Amino acid sequence: MAITEATPGPLALPPGDTDTDSRPGGIFARPTSNTGWRSWITTVDHKKIGIMYGAAALVFLLIGGFEALLIRVQLWAPRGTLLSADLYNQVFTMHGTTMVFLVVMPIGAAFANYLMPLQIGARDVAFPRINAFSLWVFVAGGIFLNSAWIFGGGADGGWFNYAPNNGVIFSPSHGIDFWNLGLIITGVASLAGAVNLIVTVLNMRAPGMTLMKMPVFTWMTLVTQFLLLFAIPVLTSAQVLLMMDRLFDANFFNVAKGANPLLWEHLFWIFGHPEVYLMILPAFGLVSEMLPVFSRKPIFGYPFIVFSGVAIGFMGWGVWAHHMFVSGIGPISVTAFSLTTMFIAVPTGVKILNWTATMWGGKLHFTTPMLFSIGLVAMFTIGGLSGVTHSVAPADTQQTDTYYIVAHFHYVLFGGAFFGFMGAFYFYWPKVFGYLLNETMGKFNFWLMLLGFNLTFAPMHILGLQGMSRRIYTYDEGYGFELWNKVATIGAFILASSVLLFIFNIFYSRVKAKHLPHPGADPWDARTIEWMTPSPVPAYNYDPVPTITRVDDFWYRKYGETKDGKLVRIAATDDVVQKRSDGKHIHLPSPSYWPFVVAFGMPIVAYGLIFSLWLCLIGGIIMVAGIYGWVLEPPDDPDAVHDDHEPGHASDDGTALEAGATADELPDADADAEADTAEKEAETVG
Amino acid sequence: MPRRSLVVRIAQIVSLVVVTVLFVVLILSAFMNDGMPLTTLVPGGPSAQQIQDLVVPVFAIAGVVFVGVMGILLFISWRFGQDKDDDPEEFPEQVHGRTALEIGWTVLPAIILAGVAVATVVTILQLEKRDDDAIKVQAIGNQWWWEYKYDIDGDGNYDGAEDIHTATELVIPIGREIAVTTTSNDVIHSFWIPGLNGKKDAVPGLFSPLKLEADEEGIYRGQCTEFCGLSHANMRMLVRSLSPDQYDEWVANQQTERGEEPSDPVAQEGLAVWKAFCAQCHVINGINDEELAETPPPLVSGVAPNLTHLMTRGTFAGSIFNLYGDVDSTDRTDGDNGEALGFEPADVAAAGDPGEALTGGPVDVENVNKVALEEWLRNAPEMKPMYAQGGRGMPNLELSEEQIDQLVAFLMTLN
Repeated sequence: MAITEATPGPLALPPGDTDTDSRPGGIFARPTSNTGWRSWITTVDHKKIGIMYGAAALVFLLIGGFEALLIRVQLWAPRGTLLSADLYNQVFTMHGTTMVFLVVMPIGAAFANYLMPLQIGARDVAFPRINAFSLWVFVAGGIFLNSAWIFGGGADGGWFNYAPNNGVIFSPSHGIDFWNLGLIITGVASLAGAVNLIVTVLNMRAPGMTLMKMPVFTWMTLVTQFLLLFAIPVLTSAQVLLMMDRLFDANFFNVAKGANPLLWEHLFWIFGHPEVYLMILPAFGLVSEMLPVFSRKPIFGYPFIVFSGVAIGFMGWGVWAHHMFVSGIGPISVTAFSLTTMFIAVPTGVKILNWTATMWGGKLHFTTPMLFSIGLVAMFTIGGLSGVTHSVAPADTQQTDTYYIVAHFHYVLFGGAFFGFMGAFYFYWPKVFGYLLNETMGKFNFWLMLLGFNLTFAPMHILGLQGMSRRIYTYDEGYGFELWNKVATIGAFILASSVLLFIFNIFYSRVKAKHLPHPGADPWDARTIEWMTPSPVPAYNYDPVPTITRVDDFWYRKYGETKDGKLVRIAATDDVVQKRSDGKHIHLPSPSYWPFVVAFGMPIVAYGLIFSLWLCLIGGIIMVAGIYGWVLEPPDDPDAVHDDHEPGHASDDGTALEAGATADELPDADADAEADTAEKEAETVG
Repeated sequence: MPRRSLVVRIAQIVSLVVVTVLFVVLILSAFMNDGMPLTTLVPGGPSAQQIQDLVVPVFAIAGVVFVGVMGILLFISWRFGQDKDDDPEEFPEQVHGRTALEIGWTVLPAIILAGVAVATVVTILQLEKRDDDAIKVQAIGNQWWWEYKYDIDGDGNYDGAEDIHTATELVIPIGREIAVTTTSNDVIHSFWIPGLNGKKDAVPGLFSPLKLEADEEGIYRGQCTEFCGLSHANMRMLVRSLSPDQYDEWVANQQTERGEEPSDPVAQEGLAVWKAFCAQCHVINGINDEELAETPPPLVSGVAPNLTHLMTRGTFAGSIFNLYGDVDSTDRTDGDNGEALGFEPADVAAAGDPGEALTGGPVDVENVNKVALEEWLRNAPEMKPMYAQGGRGMPNLELSEEQIDQLVAFLMTLN
């Protein structure tokens, strides 16, 4: 299943056509290094891209976390004086925006990029250069967004940025322009990534892996990417309208010219609610991978777990106006969205109960990933239940825009999504980096985070119910808010220290790992095929690509199951996992400078829109040049070195030769698999 | 490494105990609402009561599910935890799923939610019902205060001769429904009196209905809950519910116009200052209402608080400062807090009480919070963040101390 194996499909480049100048435009030589910093800039390897997504997200997590601490210090006591009203409004806006768009979404993207191709037995994603493009566009957008702090201050309209408060009259600084254009840019990244990952899941699965044999995380990735595919364009449309309003004096949200401000609310939440699900579903997928491993049992009700995820994906489109119960949309709309919101709790509840049933009767190993997984189930349950209380629209008219909501969505996104991510960091760290994170520190990390998290956000339930409004930079004495704000602030610092402990653990464990035995391919006795690969995963992923016969294929290579549900070991793990090969007979997509170049043209255009249209020209030229180079660049470097042939003759006959090799490795590869590889050939166009 | 795992053990126990205690205390504190003027948990009127009646059972159901799930998780963790002595190659029974169970726990929550849904729909419809004799009031959000227009003559128009325009405080009679219509002159605000009903956004260009009714005489606090820019936190509401008789007196007084020159010579000077500095934005009916109707104030919202009956209100500046009250407690502060606000805002526990002035009686001059008023006139943006340069909020008028004294003397005649 190497990239150029098999007979070319209809979309494939005919042999010989790729044998073109390897210096298109004569600017850059084709990058060749696989190590050093340059390899990271030019890589198209989904694993390196996934790691960079994660690393960037952790940097943004520190920024967003710092902003959170500023908020908590300001609210420590009545009439806090750390931040001015103006600065506070910027800080909470940037905290929300950063955490949603630059932390939770990209951590999801990090796992999707790294794991999903491994879980389906692919060599890479369908369009490797577009994948690199997605990453760099995201990084460029994130840096651009945060550069607002240098150029006159961050956005001050809230992450939801309602019209007309987002207009130039009400927010004359450039903060909202940075917010707007920055998120248009990261939207491009999400959209390109979504297309890429959907095509990958649908076309590049290993032989035998039908949809209902896919790991749950891959399923959730598929649902997530579909949500992104349809949700992001809605936000982008709204933002383009806002950009026209703010920069070119259009009147889309100008009430004086007849605009209806609810237009923005609808567009934002038609994006915004699927957004919530696309933030939580990757974590649901990850916890569905971890719980069975540490319960020593298969996932309970695999098809129900999968279909409840798909159901959430569909139903998530019909609930957006529950963010607008008090906006004056009228009792019929309120009733309709109240009911849909209640019933989306059903598939979510199914997941919780299936996870519980997975653990029931198991033999639980309380490793760090397991603790975080159980933590997710518990904390998400709280977030889900408070969610049900405000699906009850009349109750929501009391709760909305109070700290009760702040508590709710932090239980969902921190207690849910982030706990899942934390567990998955500990779980997949040995697979990605070849060393285990320290378990003792990890468990301490978990308990500290659980404590800090609950101290921070649980009191907000009561603060909200007793009337504390959201997004207020100050509150007075006499409202009874003092006690729980103090508790929350203490909790926030405990929470921050637990995040720092995690980062410390990364470096500590890395140093200590030199004196410890290598964790091997399968340190947790895991179930899905990504654990067959050597740790860290080699560039080519699988050699050979496994043929899949059932869900948890790797597990059943190690263990057989009798009819009455007893397990018998049938093969030693060492005999089942793959050995590291030199991989030279595997033709991987070649690295490229162009995705990076095109991506970094985008923020220059955006700066241009704000400051001087001349910059747009420069940015535009960079982008066009990048696209030009990209188009002319052969997808595979003809000069790349392979076993089979001498440099410079890569494409003459390589295709046919390697197709032969496939047939040897995979004698029972069926027609579907052939079709898959033919599709994969299409990727070379990307 | 027994020592390290001891640390983890302690962390585990501390974490679980603290979190458990925290949840118990939080649930208990939901029942302690004294000194919580914004609490949603103590209804003060029929609409809030209907919401309460709906939400309490929902909280109860959620509480049972919460305790159940936490209990199951703790039980599973205790019961099915792997012992160190257990053979790692010994596996539990491999259960892949049970369809009957799946259908059961899909259907059961759906049934419970269907019950909640029915109750919800009924309550939504109840809250939409309107009394025919309701008092119609428009609540208009402005950055960062509320304007109220009463349709006293009941012709559906809020600008008739008998209609009342006031600001900052909403005065209502008890036991009678107030049909509020929310709207806004600038950005989206949200009108919320938690004791009386849920909130309703005030959206520019839209007119959204919300009914209020208070059971008892007293003060109900509110807070703008839709982020509306710089001073969102300082945009409060205050509802005074009066006996029907007192309300009628209040209405009669509000309908009167100013016009006669104040008798006190200092106040007369103050009127001149007012005309020079304030009349461009603020209205006093009978003095400059007609002029301002023709040339609206140079503000984004096109309106500033109507001051005709300023002294009938207990608070000012978006209800963050007391207009009446113990002057000592509102002294100008120095040091740590002084730089940000320069002034201690009102102690909400005792909202300013206009006394007899509420219904047009004489102003208790001794009790007026002159310190706060003077400080506001000295430098309003320092006391409450505003964007006067952008036409949003009151600028620093750079008045002399003498002008401020004169102005205060004049303002104190506005009962």
